[in-house]
Amino acid sequence: MPDEPPPFLGTWRRVYIAVLIFLGVVIAAAYLFTRAFQ
Amino acid sequence: MRPLDWIVLVAALVSIVLYGLYRGRGSDTVDRYLLAGKSMPWYAMGLSIMATQASAVTFISTTGQSYVDGMRFVQAYFGLPIAMVVICTTVVPLFHKAKIYTAYEYLEKRFDSKTRTLASAIFLCQRGISVGLTLYAPAIVLSVILGWPERVTTMLMGTLVITYTVLGGIKAVTWSDVQQMGIIFLGLVVSLVTVIALMPASVSFGDAMFLAGKAGRLNAVTTNFDWNDRFNIWSGLIGSTFLFLSYFGCDQSQVQRYLTGRSIAQSRLGLLFNAVAKIPMQFFILFIGAMVFVFYLFVQPPVLFQRTELGRIERVGDFQPLAERYNRAFEDRRQAALALVEAHHAGDAAAEGRRIGEYRAAQKEIDGARTAAAKLVESTGGEKGFSDTNYIFLSFVTRHLPAGLVGLIIAVIFAAAMSASSGEINSLATVTVVDIYRRYVRRTASDHHYLAASRWATLFWGVYAVAFAGWGKRLGSLIVAVNVVGSLFYGSLLGCFVLALGFKRVGGTATFIGMLAGEAAIFSAFLFTGMSYLWYNVIGCVVVVATALAITYAAPGATATTPGMRQSV
Repeated sequence: MPDEPPPFLGTWRRVYIAVLIFLGVVIAAAYLFTRAFQ
Repeated sequence: MRPLDWIVLVAALVSIVLYGLYRGRGSDTVDRYLLAGKSMPWYAMGLSIMATQASAVTFISTTGQSYVDGMRFVQAYFGLPIAMVVICTTVVPLFHKAKIYTAYEYLEKRFDSKTRTLASAIFLCQRGISVGLTLYAPAIVLSVILGWPERVTTMLMGTLVITYTVLGGIKAVTWSDVQQMGIIFLGLVVSLVTVIALMPASVSFGDAMFLAGKAGRLNAVTTNFDWNDRFNIWSGLIGSTFLFLSYFGCDQSQVQRYLTGRSIAQSRLGLLFNAVAKIPMQFFILFIGAMVFVFYLFVQPPVLFQRTELGRIERVGDFQPLAERYNRAFEDRRQAALALVEAHHAGDAAAEGRRIGEYRAAQKEIDGARTAAAKLVESTGGEKGFSDTNYIFLSFVTRHLPAGLVGLIIAVIFAAAMSASSGEINSLATVTVVDIYRRYVRRTASDHHYLAASRWATLFWGVYAVAFAGWGKRLGSLIVAVNVVGSLFYGSLLGCFVLALGFKRVGGTATFIGMLAGEAAIFSAFLFTGMSYLWYNVIGCVVVVATALAITYAAPGATATTPGMRQSV
């Protein structure tokens, strides 16, 4: 089965990095949310 | 439940079954019945993966958890994107290229038949326990809240699930999951909008957030490290990464979802959709619970949300002073909350500080009264370790939501239970036929024969789930441990797959012994420590890998792999 490229960002490596950056942003946002309303 | 609620509920359930049957047409070969002929687009797989993971307990319990403990449960999902990336880079292409029906088939290609059989047996035991609980857990809550007989509820849910799962196979399961997720999303949005709309006119959305935060209900991230604390950022990032690696990489109920992808890319996109959507979704569900908490700052909730037990202890002499203490604490908290909002609006920092102290003291008093009520339940013959967390959200829904919306939320609970159980039943049947029946009972037969066997196995597991759910009352506190059950087995499965993918010298015998050692280590941690269940996966995986490596290097005879098998993947 051929390994197709992703529909965005060009390579799967970039997609994975984008997902991990997203995780970092979500955790940072959740941390700031917690601090803001503590 | 009013007539409009019944109309909404029945319409939702009928449409789920009809849509599942419609989409499941043409499942007339084993490949189509078990893998949808590898035709699924990423969004259907992505939503099906999400639906299979999100059982009714997720919605009932998570909102209640946020009500009593805040939003920190969201941290249990921080490892999910990491796990998804690892799975996309490793097992997704491997499983697709191996042309397998189950994850455990791959283990025979890589190791030997006994390793495959042990992994299959572990899966059947673990999923076999949880599939009954998936149906039973919402049934018991609905029986208390709405007075519906548990057996009737489980029979109804089970019959609907069996109908489209047996007839339509995985196509019916996947597409009905998509529809069920639509109902679930709609129900969640409506719940949040309604609870905010029900707040007193003097309390804005910003005030509600402020009050929830000052009561510790918006604590999404906690950074303290504690082995025994279930949810903090460390157990979330490390422990839950292992949990989700095991669940999405080694559990057939999830593996089978992405094996239906029409390409490797589509399967990856389905998983990555979950990687980015799951945490916001859990955050949203927990936030609803936090807003329900704020709603009950101004409308007095019952001392306990479990009506049956509350009715029982109300007749006990010790209850009256407890109720008076609770009523006083509620009024104190209500006054303190209003005064706190006023001080906040006035920008008076000193007054705000004082009011926060009063508000938290009143909350502590309410928590104390509720704890005393729970102890009264226990001391008068009720369940040990009694908790009413699972009853909070549905109690709010049935008491305060308008006609039609109650039916919608009950439909959400049904949809969640049905989507999770249909995926479980479908995968249990697949492992039974592919890893047991076709491997040991009938090694060569026609496609038609295996298709019929798959349908019978699906019917068997569906009936088993309903029967198990009917027996659920005797399981008692096991219901509480529904999330823990998976973690008792996942670590060993994960260790097995880590060895298969990362250590070419390790053979079947070493892996088999390693898995037994891993299970022994996990059960020891479960029975003899108070450690958070998220760490069981780490322990199990590490023990399996370490034991197998030790055997491999200490006894070279155990390192033999099965020649001629590995090149096939």
